[in-house]
Amino acid sequence: MAATAMLQPERPIVHRLPQHKCIDAVRWLPQLSPFDRFAVLAAFDTDSGSSSIEIHSLKPNPLSLQPHSSFSSSSRVSSLRASQFLQKTVVAASTAAGSLHILFSDPADARFESELSVPEEEGLHSVPGSCVDLMDGGVECVTVGEDGRVNLVSIGNSNLSYRRLFDSGGLVSYTAAKWASPVEFATGGYGFSLQWWDQRKPGGPVSQFKANWDQKFCAGIVHSIDIHPSRKHTCLAGGSLGTVFAWDLRWQQQPIILSGAGAGAGAGNTGVQSISESEVWDVQYDRCIKSSATSTRILPAMICSEDGILAVIEQGEEPIELLAEPCAINSFDIDHHNPSDVICSLEWEAVAILTRQ
Amino acid sequence: MPGVASDTVGNGALVPFSDDTKDSLAVYPLHHGLAPPISRLAISWSRGNSLRVSLFASPSSSEPSSTSDDQSGGKVLEVKLGVGDPEISDSRWRQIAYGSVAPFALLQSRRSALSAMMNSSSPYQMDWWEHMLEYSKDITSLLGGPKLPPSPIIEEPTDIVKKGEEPTCLKAAWELLEIFYADKQSQAWLPERLVDWLADYDSLFSSTQETVYGKLALFQKELVNIQVIEDDPRYWQVMSSALSVGWLDIVVKMLRLHGSYQQDQLSNRELENGLVEAVAVLISKTPRLCHESTIGKLGELFKSKPDFIKAWEKWRSQITKLDCSPFWIQCDNRRTREGLRNLLQIMLGNTESLCSATCYWIELYISHFLYIRPFTMGIESMYNLAQKCIQLKPPSSNHKLTGLMIVILEENTEVVLAESSREFGPWLVAHAIELLTAGSEQAEIVLHEERDNLGGISMIELHRLVYAQVLSTHELTWQIAPIYLTSCMKQGMGLLENLLYRQSVQHNDLLLKNIEICRLYQLDHISSDIMKVAGVYHWKHGHKGAGVYWLQQSQDTSRLNRIAQQLFDSVGKSISDESFKQWEGLIELLGSESKPAGGLEFLHKYRDFKKSLQQVYSGKSMDAARQAVVSLLLLMKNPSTPQRFWLPLLYDSLKLFNWQECPLLNVSEINLLLNKLQELSSARLHPHFSEPNLPAEALSSIRLALATNLGRAILDE
Repeated sequence: MAATAMLQPERPIVHRLPQHKCIDAVRWLPQLSPFDRFAVLAAFDTDSGSSSIEIHSLKPNPLSLQPHSSFSSSSRVSSLRASQFLQKTVVAASTAAGSLHILFSDPADARFESELSVPEEEGLHSVPGSCVDLMDGGVECVTVGEDGRVNLVSIGNSNLSYRRLFDSGGLVSYTAAKWASPVEFATGGYGFSLQWWDQRKPGGPVSQFKANWDQKFCAGIVHSIDIHPSRKHTCLAGGSLGTVFAWDLRWQQQPIILSGAGAGAGAGNTGVQSISESEVWDVQYDRCIKSSATSTRILPAMICSEDGILAVIEQGEEPIELLAEPCAINSFDIDHHNPSDVICSLEWEAVAILTRQ
Repeated sequence: MPGVASDTVGNGALVPFSDDTKDSLAVYPLHHGLAPPISRLAISWSRGNSLRVSLFASPSSSEPSSTSDDQSGGKVLEVKLGVGDPEISDSRWRQIAYGSVAPFALLQSRRSALSAMMNSSSPYQMDWWEHMLEYSKDITSLLGGPKLPPSPIIEEPTDIVKKGEEPTCLKAAWELLEIFYADKQSQAWLPERLVDWLADYDSLFSSTQETVYGKLALFQKELVNIQVIEDDPRYWQVMSSALSVGWLDIVVKMLRLHGSYQQDQLSNRELENGLVEAVAVLISKTPRLCHESTIGKLGELFKSKPDFIKAWEKWRSQITKLDCSPFWIQCDNRRTREGLRNLLQIMLGNTESLCSATCYWIELYISHFLYIRPFTMGIESMYNLAQKCIQLKPPSSNHKLTGLMIVILEENTEVVLAESSREFGPWLVAHAIELLTAGSEQAEIVLHEERDNLGGISMIELHRLVYAQVLSTHELTWQIAPIYLTSCMKQGMGLLENLLYRQSVQHNDLLLKNIEICRLYQLDHISSDIMKVAGVYHWKHGHKGAGVYWLQQSQDTSRLNRIAQQLFDSVGKSISDESFKQWEGLIELLGSESKPAGGLEFLHKYRDFKKSLQQVYSGKSMDAARQAVVSLLLLMKNPSTPQRFWLPLLYDSLKLFNWQECPLLNVSEINLLLNKLQELSSARLHPHFSEPNLPAEALSSIRLALATNLGRAILDE
């Protein structure tokens, strides 16, 4: 007993902060000063029916989030990213109506200064649902949507220009996107499909992944993708039925299942633990845990799910549950500067901030 | 719909109101900004407590006056009914709704675990009280923070009334119900708990009448302006009021403000000061029955009743002794003398003093518990006492908490429910009904009894259903309604199905959350239906891939077959080499052949055929050619391959039939293809046959190629 108690990692300190608004997405802002910390929240106020993208500053003792700067968006935000570009903080948000907003803020005072957008009339995406990813360094965005369009949006000084890289005409829908390098990115969609794209090779995906899952293993939808900067050949994807898998470009058509309801059924995936059985809404490589894994193993990853689980999973290890809420955890973000800090948005109009020891 | 019927623009009332109904009508103007006349008006319920009012301008009138730029033909307005709860905002209500899910679910699971054991003999019964109390405490903590705020570091000596978190009527009502129904363990000191309850919530009554709290707060404000405090009659009045409701800490604190305590006066007011101090000590030694909420308060605490009674008698005799003491005559400050003796009268339970010290009947009632009948009594005698207090201090206006208190004392469960529902809304009733069932066996029978006038459901189910309906109407709370609906045996499941069917399938997030609820409650048939709806929705909106995915998930083979027919039309035209990439993703989605794909199965083989054919055209590999032939034959043999594709398929394969090195098809295979051609020519006579878009000589060139291949194959064999 004593031994297991010692092995048991210490529970993180959790602060639940009611927001009185539905929080659709949440991100840390890149931290430029050690004293000020900010997070950006995509909020939806049902009383007034208005959506907004808000910067909140994090205040200690007792930990709280103070509204700092706000931008009102035309419709609900479907995905949110934050990055840094030329001494400016850039926030990119795609909305359910198909528009895209790029917001700039001065890192010194973290207030929104200017905004560029592609309004919905311009037809970047037809409704519903689109997803955006902002390139590290923030000069270009990729937006994908259920309508099957893949757009590249370049952020200029005073305007946005976009070109359509691909349009499947609705035959294929995309539900997630992530940059791998300045010219490559990955997308995900229905049936746990993943596509690999290269800007230099237009006309369609360079590579497609669609595993013939075991028959017991139902296919689902990919909700989130992450690619580690040091391992660009591996796509980490999370989706329906608690499924988290990795696709190694060098080992195509053979997914490495890290978690999932059907886990353990496929050959070579025996002994995979499943921490959740419902939708995995968000997945990110966990930069906090220094893995002992060799280069052949998939790096540890954090997930959040519809059944209220926030956990770290690692290939061949027991999953570590950080949070088990009675409601869904819709999104989370790990702070790049302090990877022990995690912010996540809870279904019941609240934000939780975790500090791992 | 009075508000809507009257029209602000002034083109005449639409509905005439008769005089006798006028008093009960409230007319609200509606600012719609449309030019008169309004030709049509439609009213329907929107989400929650809102009405959706659609107004249509008459088309003829808007035409000539269309010079104004934004002249619209109509407008849709949302009219919110009711002002909501002034005490608790909508978002606070939602927080309460979220927070009460876990305690409620825990209690239900414990209840079902208990009924599974069935033989609920006394040991389980004991457990059950504890569970109920735990539930009640969880809900209480949800309704507000701790009762006592953290005391300030430097306490102002003149700070009499501490201001903690704003108490709410909702929390007060919950605690009242807990005191009477849930906390069976402390039934013995029910009056004591009521004393504490009033101390926490007396301020709430200030809205409708004068209260001791209100008097204290007022006096606190004026305290700075008073020079000689003991000469002010209000000082003594306020103290007697506070003492009458048992706020010992405050009275002692106020007594210590008495002028005789000041250093420079101490010598010549020694006697006076001695009397003040004696009273203060007596007050702080008031015996009280001990329970958890009395900890940290003034008074001497006793755990057992005999000890308490003994101490009580002793305490009273000490008061009487002081009251008869000769020192009073020597005390020359009249106000101090009279004030202090009045305090003693209150402690001795002088009805007149109590009556004049308290402000309304509940305060008088509490003072009776404290100073006249400090011993436990049954609910019936408590009710009689309340009646007496109401007679002594008839209420000038009704407060919702006094109403609740009276109906609780009347001991009629149904009336308590009706009153709580009327005054505090569906949340309180749905959750407090658990406490009421714990009240008595009789109450439990009343609440669980199935009633014909309620459509065969019980009171408990009725109130849960009502609350679940309230939750269902809001887009953020509908997801917790299933927890309440599934605890309703009779009609819960039906309403849950309605709720799930009603949600939009437009956005994936919402759709998946909906399906997740189906999974949790094993409602596979509903999730399958929802997926069908989603499939058709996406298909109709041109998201073909998403449509196919959802129909596949719901295993809806017949619809997949139907959409396959539509899909083939575009396949036939556009599966040229350039657009192949677009199709590939969709075909990938169809997954392995074991998955239900209906008529779409054909696409798989077609893809394989096209792929190998592409290789043939690019590299002329023999293997690829053989592979293409295999795919072609599979396609032609498969009954799911639509007939209209036969000719284009064969035309695409001309190169295979004319293969230079050797014949790729054997005699029986050629015969199969020839038979298909024969079938096709007879099908041509059918009126609905659609001619494929191929060159005129296509058929003859296929025939020729097949004949050539046949000849070579016969020679080979």
